[in-house]
Amino acid sequence: MTANNLLPINCEILAITKTTAIENLYRVRFPHVDKVHNGQFLQLSVPGFGECAISITDFSVEEQWLEFLIRKVGLVTNQIFNLNVGDYLPMRGPYGKGFQIANYEGKHLAIVAGGSGLAPVRSLIKHFHANPQDLKSFELLLGFKDTDNVIFKSEIAEWEKQFPVIVTVDNPSGAPDEKTGLVTQYVSGLKTIKQDMNSVEVVIVGPPRMMEFTAKEFIKNGVPPEKIWVSFERRMSCAVGKCGHCRIDEVYVCLEGPVFNYAATAHLFD
Amino acid sequence: MGLQLTNAQFNQVLARLSAKYAIYAPKNFPLEGRYSDTDMVRYDGITQVEDIVFERKSDMSAKEIVTPINETIMFFFNGQVQESKIPQKEILIFARACDINGFKRLDDIFLRNSETPDYYYQRRRNKIKFIAIECPSQGWDTCFCVSTQTNDTSDYALAVKSTGESLKIEIKDQEFAEYFADFAQNSTCQYQYQPVLENELKLTLPVINSQEVLTRLKNHPMWKEYNRRCVMCGSCTVNCPTCSCFTTYDVKFATDSETGAGERRRMAASCHVDGFTDMAGGHTFRTSAAERMRFKALHKVHDHKQRFGDNMCVGCGRCDDRCPEHISFSSMIQKMHTAVEQIKQELNHDSK
Amino acid sequence: MNHDIDVKKLRVNCFRQSKVAGEFMIQLRVPGSLIKAKYLAVIQHIAETWGNGTFHIGTRQTLNAPGIKYKYVDEVNAYIQDYIKEIEIEACGIDMESNEAGYPTIGARNIVACIGNSHCIKGNVNTHELARKMEKEIFPSHYHMKMNIAGCPNDCSKAHFCDFGIIGLTIPEYMPERCIGCGRCATVCKKVATGVLELVNNKIEKDMCCCVGCGECVSACPSGAWAYSKQKFYRVMIGGRTGKQTPRMGKMFLNWVTEDVLIAVIKNWQSFSATILENKPLYLHGGHLIDKAGYHRFRELMLKDVKLNPEAMVAERIFWTETEYRSNINVKKPIA
Ligand SMILES: Cc1cc2nc3c(=O)[nH]c(=O)nc-3n(C[C@H](O)[C@H](O)[C@H](O)COP(=O)(O)OP(=O)(O)OC[C@H]3O[C@@H](n4cnc5c(N)ncnc54)[C@H](O)[C@@H]3O)c2cc1C
Ligand code: SF4
Ligand code: SF4
Ligand code: FES
Repeated sequence: MTANNLLPINCEILAITKTTAIENLYRVRFPHVDKVHNGQFLQLSVPGFGECAISITDFSVEEQWLEFLIRKVGLVTNQIFNLNVGDYLPMRGPYGKGFQIANYEGKHLAIVAGGSGLAPVRSLIKHFHANPQDLKSFELLLGFKDTDNVIFKSEIAEWEKQFPVIVTVDNPSGAPDEKTGLVTQYVSGLKTIKQDMNSVEVVIVGPPRMMEFTAKEFIKNGVPPEKIWVSFERRMSCAVGKCGHCRIDEVYVCLEGPVFNYAATAHLFD
Repeated sequence: MGLQLTNAQFNQVLARLSAKYAIYAPKNFPLEGRYSDTDMVRYDGITQVEDIVFERKSDMSAKEIVTPINETIMFFFNGQVQESKIPQKEILIFARACDINGFKRLDDIFLRNSETPDYYYQRRRNKIKFIAIECPSQGWDTCFCVSTQTNDTSDYALAVKSTGESLKIEIKDQEFAEYFADFAQNSTCQYQYQPVLENELKLTLPVINSQEVLTRLKNHPMWKEYNRRCVMCGSCTVNCPTCSCFTTYDVKFATDSETGAGERRRMAASCHVDGFTDMAGGHTFRTSAAERMRFKALHKVHDHKQRFGDNMCVGCGRCDDRCPEHISFSSMIQKMHTAVEQIKQELNHDSK
Repeated sequence: MNHDIDVKKLRVNCFRQSKVAGEFMIQLRVPGSLIKAKYLAVIQHIAETWGNGTFHIGTRQTLNAPGIKYKYVDEVNAYIQDYIKEIEIEACGIDMESNEAGYPTIGARNIVACIGNSHCIKGNVNTHELARKMEKEIFPSHYHMKMNIAGCPNDCSKAHFCDFGIIGLTIPEYMPERCIGCGRCATVCKKVATGVLELVNNKIEKDMCCCVGCGECVSACPSGAWAYSKQKFYRVMIGGRTGKQTPRMGKMFLNWVTEDVLIAVIKNWQSFSATILENKPLYLHGGHLIDKAGYHRFRELMLKDVKLNPEAMVAERIFWTETEYRSNINVKKPIA
């Protein structure tokens, strides 16, 4: 008999930072950080209300913490917003296959994130920000609804000092130098697409339609589909390949994903 | 060599078995059918042969015993979590070949779909042994277990065939011989479990041999018909012996309670039913009946096989038995087969 | 042609006067509307031997043969002796003499019924079996009464438009442990019935107050989490009628009564009519009879010695809504 791996463990909330009107950043103590990879997720519990899948947005093995950017949208996330520093937030995980750092090392890497899609790639960005020598070049293209919804502003400012970052908003605020419009408009201007395609990798994370159109734009600009990585969004209930909610064809997003190679999964439509 | 016991004699055996085993079998629930004055046959604990329905295929499958429609998996109290308990007894299930093969498909998902087997499934599954019920020679008119190669099973401890007043019994697992010791001398007969070797329905399952065939089948017009016919009720999945999807949800016992007492449950879910794929932000995949039908049908006769090697569908025909709109899954399989053959021809033609 | 025909006597004998002098239409009772198809040969024989060769499906589900000459009435009555015996005495168990005199009365009209749950997926009760039991309570009686049995609240047989409209009901029983929380029962209830179900944290909550007892939730449920109650229940609509003066839809008299209660209530119809009509079986629509008595008197007499089941509900008062074809038709000189 295997152990019951579905029981959540109590994790103390270390810090809560208000990020946008409906998003908070939570830092929690987590004993098994050594098992964590960029782009994975955990199942957070509020007993009596339920569970929800939340991506790891950053982690520290030395200090044993994880960070989550949580958007308040319903039953469980509303309850999480009632918690305070020092409270316990039970959770289980980590789950899923995240981003494989080795895939991108020594390459020209472009990361495109839409809205809170930045959260699951944040730790990857931070990794290469701290280890710039591991990449040939690095570019960031970030799209948000409006300036109020730009998350991790101060970190973006830090990143910009080291590598090119394009931030664009759907709804202009009128500020000078502001870039507006959808991320797809900026794809053809990226330097990454001018490189030798053998050493290019592209990561796209955001709402399903944004990922689809952005991937198509990269392909139009000569990036082979095998060089594009996306993070699938699916409803999940168990996160361990049992409940069936996240299945597409023979693939279980919670097990084989959420990060997939675009070419390998282009046929997974439903 | 087998035994033939009167129902009364077999009831003595059941009484002895029940000291160690919780015994389940298809049982009649009078007037619990879909329409008034109709019955429902589903699995439940039994104590005597007379409780067992042999002459009719059960409406619901035996999966409910191992994956109950609602199951409490843990309790919360004062910030602590405690897993739910189940009864200690071993489990014996009277089941048909399709049901027993259905458990293999459930095993694929719950025990083999990731490195870690499912704790809640496994704790019951480990206790289960089967008593195979012999079917009428061709099964029933909606059965197609021969076409899905799930007509036979060797995974049983005992096998039985009812003659009405008595039971013919094959003892396969000799651990069970002791329960029949009194009868071993005087009640012998020639009996060995006989699988169904031919159904009235004979199907050819579609063989989807390339990504292109699959994509074209997904886009095939054959699915459109179900937008008009299927009401997306999920009856066909609730009673399917191989459908295993569930949703987890919590219950809080008292809203004002200081202790935060509550429980977490699993509840059967269905890909035909609204909400199955709803996501924050309002996005839903597969909103139409046709898309949901395609998703289910391909899972049954293709996707599961891609992942685990065996088709999921065990040909029991229960989906057809319970569909209020008389949509026949066996007919759908036939249509898929025809469509796939036509697609293959088109592809051949295109490549020339 | 002898025109001295007692048409009133013939009407009581179930022969209806024709506009063609000396011709009549026989009406054979089919209590509860379902009989063996072989009886079609009976009406065919009558129509082709004594009638004009045509056949009318009666508006109250009788088998009718028009165009029967007065001189053949006795022959027809002799011929239908077996039919009456098989239907009324044998199938309905009525205690009456079998003879060649035809139907003894037209007072209580044929009991109309929909096909009910012997066939229909919506039906809650077997309307034919109930009709045969009811026939025994109301026939043969000279007191007028029109009864109508519907298998479910869809009321296809229009129980809302007769003296006594009986509607088959169920009080569905919910088994939360079988519920998958899909909410389909609630959606269907809202769409086709009264919307008394609500999905609250994956389980159903029901407001029994406005349940119509149709059973749609049971057939909608994919997992058998609802079951029809083992006990059948009935709603009784009273006083519905059509007609030239004041047609109206019947109103609810009883709700959720069991069959035993229903039969006990109907048994009182005879004595109620006799009391109000002072033992003279006049031809007066049941609805008018109830009006004559007043609802409260009607209720008192109809529920006399009836022991109601615990679920039963009785109307405290009734507010009729009539279509008055001439305004103020109900305003009359007080009866001295
Ligand atoms: C792999 C993965 C990673 C995610 N990462 C994050 C993250 O980093 N930050 C974040 O804020 N959110 C993330 N989500 C989405 C998050 O899981 C849902 O917003 C959350 O489950 C909603 O739960 P709730 O109880 O608050 O809302 P509910 O009251 O349950 O529902 C509100 C809305 O959310 C939908 N929903 C419910 N459960 C899920 C689910 N499991 N997945 C998607 N939608 C759901 C409902 O259909 C409804 O539309 C992630 C989801 C997945 C699958
Ligand atoms: S196929 Fe039939 S049983 Fe299945 S969801 Fe559609 S209508 Fe319901
Ligand atoms: S239809 Fe059945 S399973 Fe669905 S909510 Fe209603 S009772 Fe529950
Ligand atoms: S979330 Fe349950 S199978 Fe993927």
